[in-house]
Amino acid sequence: MRGISRRNFLKSATALSLGATLSPVMKPFAQSGIDLSMWYWGEQELPGLQAYVDQAVAAWSEAGGGTVDVLLQDTDVVIPQFQTAAAANNAPDIQFLWNGIYHMESVWFGYLSPLNGLVSDAVLAESGATDLSHFEGNQYRVGWYPLQMVIFYNKALFDNAGLDADAPPATWDELLGACEALVSSGVPAFGGGIQDGFWGEWYFGQALAQSLDTPGEAIQLFIGDLDFREPRYHECWTRLEELVVNGYMNDDMSSLELYPGIDKVVTGDLGMSLSIGTRIPADNAAMDGNLGIMKLPVFGQGALADKPIVDSQGLGISTNSANKDEAADFLEFLNSPGQLDAFWNITSWMPSNVNWDSSVIEDPVVQQAWDEWNLGDQAPYVSNLIPAQFWTDAMFVASQSIVGGNMTGEEAGEQNARVVQEWRDFNPDLVENYQKWAEDLGN
Amino acid sequence: MIRTRNAFVPYLFVAPCVALLTFIFGYPLVKIFEFSFRQIRGFTGPFVGLRNYQLILNQPTFQDAISNNAKLLLAVPVIIVISVLIAIVLFERVRGWRVYRTILFVPYILSVPIVAVVLKNIFQFNGPFNETVRALGMEFLALDWLGDPNVAIWTIMIVVIWREVGFGIVLMLSRLLGLNAETLEAAQLDGANWRQRVVYVIVPQMRGIIEFYAVVNIIGMVAAVFAYVFMVTKGGPGTSTQVMELYIFNMLTRNALPGIASAVSVMLFIAFVIMILILFFLLRRSRGRELA
Repeated sequence: MRGISRRNFLKSATALSLGATLSPVMKPFAQSGIDLSMWYWGEQELPGLQAYVDQAVAAWSEAGGGTVDVLLQDTDVVIPQFQTAAAANNAPDIQFLWNGIYHMESVWFGYLSPLNGLVSDAVLAESGATDLSHFEGNQYRVGWYPLQMVIFYNKALFDNAGLDADAPPATWDELLGACEALVSSGVPAFGGGIQDGFWGEWYFGQALAQSLDTPGEAIQLFIGDLDFREPRYHECWTRLEELVVNGYMNDDMSSLELYPGIDKVVTGDLGMSLSIGTRIPADNAAMDGNLGIMKLPVFGQGALADKPIVDSQGLGISTNSANKDEAADFLEFLNSPGQLDAFWNITSWMPSNVNWDSSVIEDPVVQQAWDEWNLGDQAPYVSNLIPAQFWTDAMFVASQSIVGGNMTGEEAGEQNARVVQEWRDFNPDLVENYQKWAEDLGN
Repeated sequence: MIRTRNAFVPYLFVAPCVALLTFIFGYPLVKIFEFSFRQIRGFTGPFVGLRNYQLILNQPTFQDAISNNAKLLLAVPVIIVISVLIAIVLFERVRGWRVYRTILFVPYILSVPIVAVVLKNIFQFNGPFNETVRALGMEFLALDWLGDPNVAIWTIMIVVIWREVGFGIVLMLSRLLGLNAETLEAAQLDGANWRQRVVYVIVPQMRGIIEFYAVVNIIGMVAAVFAYVFMVTKGGPGTSTQVMELYIFNMLTRNALPGIASAVSVMLFIAFVIMILILFFLLRRSRGRELA
C-alpha cells in the first residue's frame, strides 16, 4: 500500500479499534435519553408517513426523550423480518403491526409484550386499535391510523342513471336496483380489479361480517365449530355470484389489480367499487367532489350487518425490548394532541385516536368517514382473522373463480370448508390459540 | 513444486475448500431434509415423521401446482425449436443479422419484473393487445389473457418463451459459428438443399448444446418460473397458474410453515436428481451407440 507506512497503518487501526470499543461505554454520557429502535411500514399506502415519523422522532428527541432509530420496512418483510429478529432476541423496541392475525401469531410466539400496565389505559382505549388487538384480556397494539372499509361510488354516474346520489343503496335489493340502472345507462355497475386478490379480501371482510353476530364467529368458522357449507356462512359468496350472473361487474375485473380497478370509479368508467378510506382525499379531489362513500348494502341477518367496518394500523412493543417503559412513553407521545395534529398536517390523513380534533377536516367525504366510521358503532375487519392459508387457498381462489364465472357461491362454501380443514391439519398448534382468541372476540 | 510421498497431503490442501462448500451447500440441504420431518415454528418444532409429505400430496393446491409445472414443460421444445431455427437463419448471414441478433437478445437482458409488468398491461382484457385485435376485426383473439383460468397459464408460457428464446438464439448461434465450415460446404456441393443441410448436417452437430439447453430449460420450467408467476398472476385466477415455487413461497413466508415448504423442496430436489440421472443415462447410452 503506497503512501501509508506500516507504523501509521497500525496507529490508525489501533485508534479505530479503541474508538469502536469505547463508543458504547461513552454513549450514556453523551446524551440523557434512551436509544429506541422502531421498524415501521406505511409510506407505501400513506405517502407522507415517513416524513411524519421523522418529525415525530425529532420532536421526541427535542423533548428530551432520546433518539429513535427508525427503519422503514418493505411490505413483504414486515412480519418475517420482525419474527426472525425476535426469534434471535434482536427485535426492535417498537414494531409496526398490522391488525388481527398479522400480529397475533407474533403474540402467540411470545414476540410481543402486552401493553396493559405499560401504556396508559386511556391511550389503549382511545387509540383506535380495534378489538382484534386483544388476546386473553391483554392489548398488544396501539392504534396509529385508520382504514375505513368503504364502497366508492361516482355521484355523476348515479345522476346520469337517474339515481339519487345523496341516498346510495342501503339494502341489497336497492343495490341490485342501482346496478340495473347504471348498466342501463351504459356503465358497468360494480366491481374493480381482482387480479391480485385484495379486492376479494376486502369483499370477504365486509360481506362475511353481515352473517356474523360477533367477530369470534368468524374464528369459529376456521376452527370448525361453525361450517362454511351452511348457507348463512357462504351467503357472502352467493351474493357475489348474483352480481356476476346479472352482468353487473366490469368485464376486465379479472385482469385488473385492485387500485387500477378503483381508478375506474374515479375516471367515470365504473359506478361502484370497494375501496379504502385513505384514498378519499386524492380521489375526491380528482373527481371534483363527485365521490360518494357508503357501506356494503345489507343482505345478512347478523348483528354486525350494517355496521361500518374499520381497520387500523398500529404499533406494539417487542418482548425483547430492554426499554419497554421508554417505548411505551414514545407510543403515548405519538398519541399526544400535538402529534395527532402533526400526523394530519403532514400525511393529510387522520390518526385513529378518537380524541383527535377533526375540526381541521375540510373535505365533507373525509368528514363523513371520520364521523360515521371512526366515531360510529363500528365492526372490526374480519378479514384480519383469516389464517394465511385460507387467504391463499380459499379466499383468493373463491373470489377470483366466482368473478370469472367458474365457481358458484355454494361451491365456494364447500371449497372454504375443505381449506379450513386443511389449515387445521397443517397447523394443529395454532387451533388452540384461535379457540382462545374466539373467546376474546365473543363466541 | 512440492513433492511428497504422503497421499493425504493433497487432500489437506483441498480440505478447507471442501469444508467451505460442505457448509455452504451441505448444511442447508441437511437442514431442509430435517425440517421436512418436523412441524417447524420459527427455527424448530416437534418431529412429525412423514406427516408433512402426506398433507402436501393430498392437497388439491399442490396437485394443481404440479400440473401447471408440467404444462410449462411444453414450452421447452418450443423454445428449442424457435431458438435453433432463428439461429440458423441468422447463421446464414441474412442482411443485418447482427442487428437482429441484438434485438432478439434484448428481452433476455430485461429483468423479469419489468417484462412482467409491461406484458401484464399489454395483455389486460381491455389492454393494447386486445384493443388492437378488436380494431383489426379479430375478436376471437381478444381473450382474457390473465383473467381466464383456462388461458392464464398459456399466457405465462408465452411470456417465458418470449424472454428465454433470446438466450437460446445466442447460445445456438455461438455453437453454429464454431461448426466445421468444410462439412457444410461439402453438403452444399453434394446438392443438399437447405432443409437437408439443417436436418442431416447442422442439427446433428449441435446435438450436445441442444441437449444441454433442454436440461437447463427443464430445470427452469420447474424451478425458475417463480418470478414470472409471482409478478404476472400470483398463481391466479384461482389456482390456474399456481406452481411449486409459488407454493413453497406461500408456505414459507405467508403461512409460516417452513416444515411444509421444506418437504416440497425435498421432493423437488429428489425429482431433479432422478431427472438428471435419467438424462445422464440417456446421454451415455446415445454416445455409446454413436461410438459403436
